[in-house]
Amino acid sequence: MTLIIVADPRARTVFDVRGMVVLVTGGSRGIGRAIVRELSEAGAEVAVHYRKEADRARSLVTEAAARGSAARAFEADLRDPPAAGRLVSEVMAWRGRLDGLVTSAGVFRGDALPEIDRASWDAVMSVDLEGSFRTIQAAVPHLSLSPRASIVTVSSVLASHPAVGGSPYQAAKAGMEQMTRALALELAPKIRVNSVAPGFIRTDMNRDAHSDPEFSHKVARATPLGRWGEPEDVAPIVRYLLSSDASWVTGAVVAVDGGIPLR
Amino acid sequence: MTDTFSLDGRAALVTGGSRGIGRAIVLALSKAGAEVTFSYRENAAAAQSTVQAAREAGRSVDAVASDAADESAVVRLVEGVRRERGHLDIVVAGAGIVGPVGWDMGTPDEWQRVVATNVEGPYALVRAAAPALAERGGCAILISSIAGLIAAPEEIVYSASKSALSALVRGLALTLAPDVRVNAIAPGWVETDMTKEVRADPRTERAIRRYIPLGRWGHPEDVAAAAVFLAGNGARFITGETLVVDGGNQIAWRIGLER
Repeated sequence: MTLIIVADPRARTVFDVRGMVVLVTGGSRGIGRAIVRELSEAGAEVAVHYRKEADRARSLVTEAAARGSAARAFEADLRDPPAAGRLVSEVMAWRGRLDGLVTSAGVFRGDALPEIDRASWDAVMSVDLEGSFRTIQAAVPHLSLSPRASIVTVSSVLASHPAVGGSPYQAAKAGMEQMTRALALELAPKIRVNSVAPGFIRTDMNRDAHSDPEFSHKVARATPLGRWGEPEDVAPIVRYLLSSDASWVTGAVVAVDGGIPLR
Repeated sequence: MTDTFSLDGRAALVTGGSRGIGRAIVLALSKAGAEVTFSYRENAAAAQSTVQAAREAGRSVDAVASDAADESAVVRLVEGVRRERGHLDIVVAGAGIVGPVGWDMGTPDEWQRVVATNVEGPYALVRAAAPALAERGGCAILISSIAGLIAAPEEIVYSASKSALSALVRGLALTLAPDVRVNAIAPGWVETDMTKEVRADPRTERAIRRYIPLGRWGHPEDVAAAAVFLAGNGARFITGETLVVDGGNQIAWRIGLER
């Protein structure tokens, strides 16, 4: 018997995430939703975390099922610190392992300094910074058992390039970026930790901004690539960072912002 | 399978493609579907080996002898590819040299050679290719180094030239937006001919490896995968960015405070 091996021209670097079990927080809407779709379409088994949009989270699960991919929706209020641990336990009960984590759950408040009371500070910090931290902390013991463990945090261009209003949000995202680097060191070489920093992306979170024609136009003009970003623009880099093609990348923060800080 | 990352139908030009990271980028872009032409300065045997490696993967790539540090040669190279393929969508400035090491300032000629290869060459490449790239929403990728981002005491001249590339990326990205995206990759210590001498001494090799949090030297393929990503439609909203591919080297303290 002769075995003939033919080089398959279709065998390519495709940032393979097939079979990876990935938890995406804030997966029902916005950037998280696009990430869930990208990963699920590429063959990952995605745990879709949501806080209140159960229907939207479930619609992603239905989509995945139609493609024959495993996915499941998980409810958790990450403003409550113990919720992250429960969320991760439920995901572990679902699939029994975890290979990737994307912390995309976030809250934006553009408040000016005098308006920032305890509640508005907590609304941002509890999710954007501590919620991400607690989720990572709960996930790490499970991720460390995976041969291809990877964490991607979702930051913001506002972490490194300031804007007027929403200083707690900007501080939280800057904190998240440095947490990403610190954990990249602490968890190496077992678990890679990277961040993506989106610019102005059209999502529910900033509907006020992009539905205001004047401001919307201003953003498009200020962005060298000449337009707002879409959630789908951010998802591919997350897939790259989760895949083994990025197995030598850790502690990196990748801007997906159409070049806006260049201006 | 999603097509986000396919480079089918794109024509790519890679300088310094016969060896090391450039060679891996040639092979990876080609495997991703691009029609690749690469240039090499003088090592025809290495260039032939790259062509052969592509052939073994069922792909065909073209090699052209051309000095990536010589502006008029770069212009001819770009025109040649454009004539041959009918279009040009991706350029990668892969050619680079280390130059004087240690405290050695080198001769003025050596300095000039480093600047010409590592800075002027990439600028000339993007400048010459820009009109063609703009026609079809193309992109340029410059190969920088973490030595351009952090102190590199043994390679100060090289480091300075790579820092200049960071400025080049930002300036070119802004100048050529929105039609052309310009990004860089900053690799850390990668197993190539360029680092062969450093790796030959086991003590130095180990010392460097200790400062790489992921615990290993990079493979040229690690950098090439990043190039495939940046060249593709998945990076359509990324410009002016430097993607660090270094095993975490950049964020690690050299004195080992993290251990």
